[in-house]
Amino acid sequence: MSALILTSILGVVLLYLGLFGGKKLLAPIGILGLIGALILFYLDQRINLPQFAHMIVFDRTSMLFSCGMIGITILIFLFGIDYYDRVEENVAEQHALMIFSLTGAFLLTSYTNLLMLFLGIEILSIPLYILAGAKKRSYRSSEASFKYFLLGSFASAFLLMGIALIYGMCASFDMDVVKGVALKQLEHPDLLFTLGCFFVAVGLSFKVAAVPFHFWSPDVYEGAPTLVTTFMATVVKMAAFIGFYRFVSLTQMPPTLGNALLVMTIFTLLLGNIVALRQSNFKRLMAYSSIAHSGFLLMAILSNAPNIAQVLFYYTFTYSLATVGLFIVLTIAKRAANGDENIRIFRGLFRAKPWLAIVTLLLLLSLAGIPLTAGFVAKYQVFLLAIGAHLIKTTLFAVVMALVGIYYYAVVIREAFTPSEEESTLVVSPINWLLISLCGVAVVVMGVMPGWLM
Amino acid sequence: MADDMLLIALLLIPFLTATLLVVARPDKNARGIAMMASVACSVLVIAQWAKFPGGSLTFVEHDWVPAWGLRLLMGYDGTGLLFLLLTAVIFPFIIGAGFKQPNDRPSLFNAMLLFTQAALFGVFMSQNAFLFYIFYELSLVPLFFLLLFWGSPSPERFGDRRANVRAITMRFFIYTLLGGLALLFGIAYCVVHEPAHNADFNALAQLHLPHGTQIWLFWALFLAFAVKLPIFPFHSWQPDTYTMAPLQGTMTLAGVLLKMGLFGILRFVFPIVPDGVEFWRSTVIWLAIIGALYAGVIAFRQRDLKRLVAYSSLSHVGLLCAGLFAQNSYGVSGSLYQAFAHAILVVCMLYLVGAIQSRTGTTDLDAMGGLKLKAPRLAALFFLVMINAVALPLTQSFVGEWLMFNGLWQIDGWMAFAAVLTIILGAVYMLFAYQRVMLGPDNTRLQATDADSEDHFFLVPLIAITLVLGVYPAPILHLLDGPVQQMLSMLH
Repeated sequence: MSALILTSILGVVLLYLGLFGGKKLLAPIGILGLIGALILFYLDQRINLPQFAHMIVFDRTSMLFSCGMIGITILIFLFGIDYYDRVEENVAEQHALMIFSLTGAFLLTSYTNLLMLFLGIEILSIPLYILAGAKKRSYRSSEASFKYFLLGSFASAFLLMGIALIYGMCASFDMDVVKGVALKQLEHPDLLFTLGCFFVAVGLSFKVAAVPFHFWSPDVYEGAPTLVTTFMATVVKMAAFIGFYRFVSLTQMPPTLGNALLVMTIFTLLLGNIVALRQSNFKRLMAYSSIAHSGFLLMAILSNAPNIAQVLFYYTFTYSLATVGLFIVLTIAKRAANGDENIRIFRGLFRAKPWLAIVTLLLLLSLAGIPLTAGFVAKYQVFLLAIGAHLIKTTLFAVVMALVGIYYYAVVIREAFTPSEEESTLVVSPINWLLISLCGVAVVVMGVMPGWLM
Repeated sequence: MADDMLLIALLLIPFLTATLLVVARPDKNARGIAMMASVACSVLVIAQWAKFPGGSLTFVEHDWVPAWGLRLLMGYDGTGLLFLLLTAVIFPFIIGAGFKQPNDRPSLFNAMLLFTQAALFGVFMSQNAFLFYIFYELSLVPLFFLLLFWGSPSPERFGDRRANVRAITMRFFIYTLLGGLALLFGIAYCVVHEPAHNADFNALAQLHLPHGTQIWLFWALFLAFAVKLPIFPFHSWQPDTYTMAPLQGTMTLAGVLLKMGLFGILRFVFPIVPDGVEFWRSTVIWLAIIGALYAGVIAFRQRDLKRLVAYSSLSHVGLLCAGLFAQNSYGVSGSLYQAFAHAILVVCMLYLVGAIQSRTGTTDLDAMGGLKLKAPRLAALFFLVMINAVALPLTQSFVGEWLMFNGLWQIDGWMAFAAVLTIILGAVYMLFAYQRVMLGPDNTRLQATDADSEDHFFLVPLIAITLVLGVYPAPILHLLDGPVQQMLSMLH
């Protein structure tokens, strides 16, 4: 897989670039490399063919997710040009680590072997543990890093334990063999196998921040540097969900596990939305809203329909676009407010920068799921899937939770459009202006013409 | 010009004008530009009305997202045209009411009104459930800003002014969205169960869902409109919002937006879940009538004129909903006719509230009295509006209410009796309000001026419409005949 190799090399190149002091070149070279990876994906002839000794298979879904994640990473790198302007230390390392993490994400989109699942998760996560602590001298950042690392290793242990149990039942790591065994056991599932699947699901739920494995996410989101938070909320979330989906779709889940997931979905929806209501720190709000969105995505996975992957992609991709845009707005507002992250800092945005406020409005409406934005299309598709799978009560519950969700986004909108008493000192660099506009326009275009992505 | 272009123009004229106002901010001419756009729309609609041949017309047909049955399918039948006509006639007056209102950002304000108008035209022209939903929700966004920016809190509750406005705005927003999301769920459920995943109203009407499903699905579809109207017990957002909203915002809300509720019931609830309607009919009618009586009693006790109008609107709307759910030709056409009358009535009432407020500086009824001595012409206009409000014979309201009583009488005598009670209450509180504002000794120390030419220019045409249609209701009733008969024939 040439793109996989290219990104691995790209990471190393960026590391060396930092060594020789080419800070200005980091973003351009990183982006060029990523565009190269996109082209390689596009030219790739070996779709649906096993590679690396039956370890991975790139199918259309994997391609879609990989390209989507590359796209979002490019946006984050562009955001980084302005963001890293004031940072001197370890900029190259941070770029390189994000590229490495992305490489792990590619594996998660395409694994056909449980070992590759584990490898993918680890390659995705280990750079993140470091990235979360990138602000070395910040107490919160170090705390985030340590907490993430500790809980992350715990989850990895569960994952590994689960894989071992499944291996014990099937005598193979290959997903086809596992599926064969699972199909034979549909009537009377073996306890060990069920437990194995359950443990793997626990490990993956940790990555998607599903309740009750979500405890890390608000603290890590808040403590990590904003750019890293953006990366975690977007690319990592996409990767985790496609990984989760592949596991659920390739192994036939035992019914008890399905029930466990349903319970988890309901609690994720409930807790994510309700707790978000009480947040006044914007990053924590986004963390809980991210948990809430995980609930909707889990509901899609539960529906067992043929087109889940597309819906997941559309949902996570548009969610990522809106999130990137909002975190850029946050960075701009935060600078003007001397590092404050309370949602109060958005007050007066409309007076100071009308266009910025309008785009923020669009992005928040998209997250809230108001029609003619991409977020609405995404949520609606999830509802369709869930109703099609006869999860009527769960869907009704999700609808109520979506309403709660609208409330806390509307609170932010209200802040942005309430005039402020103080004189605004917002400074928007041209590239950020462009990025935010791009995200806003993309969210509307994909909401109006959802056919493009499906 | 081709007819489909006309319909597109109805959406585009307000929308583009509003965008222009937002971008260019011509604060001096904003009101005039908005006025021109809305008058252009009314000319278009009235031209359509003049050559309406009857039946159901579809002009724009275009696939949008076939996978979920979302199609750009627009057109109208008699009822749709009635609502279009209502929107088109009322909006120039709503915008006109702003000429005398002080406003710090007239461009944005009028842009929001025009965005609302575009969304409303969209709602009343949609022939696809999904399209309806999209416009329905979009109408909410400009209104959110109207309330947030230009709302002023009710006078009896001082305290943190902005906090009060924000709290009321959020309550309105969340309440309406709750209904909207329930509706979305209902649409999604229907689309999944429609064999071709078609969300056109025609296709959904053929969807014979099982009896048990219809009984619960009824509430999913009805909730949105019950909140929008609003009927008891989903009304608690309404009085505060109406009182707090800027005058023109209240006119939009009470005059046109709530009519989306009636229209939605006609398009969604009746055709898709007829068994559910059958099952819940008396519950809904009683809820609506109880709400109407309750609002009437509260209106009587109000000390604030704008709040009194808010409760009187609540009372009238309860009756509209009851009439509609009677589901016979009297009830339905009465209700729709009265919807038109109510729109004109409530806009007139609110305009008078604004006129009185600008003269006396208050809306507190206790502080008023004897205004007739200083402003006899204003008092005369108020009187003419009031006789329409109390449904005196030969006014427009009388026709609608008489039809609705007939409809309710055919269902249950007690319902008709309770409905008559609401009218008596209505007469009591309106006359009482007139007495407290206009009659008696002169309480206001201010030198109040009489109604000027602008007031006449605003009120006289509207009053003329109510009187003409009160004497000769045929043009409107004729529009409704076909669709109502067709709908009833599908039910029985």
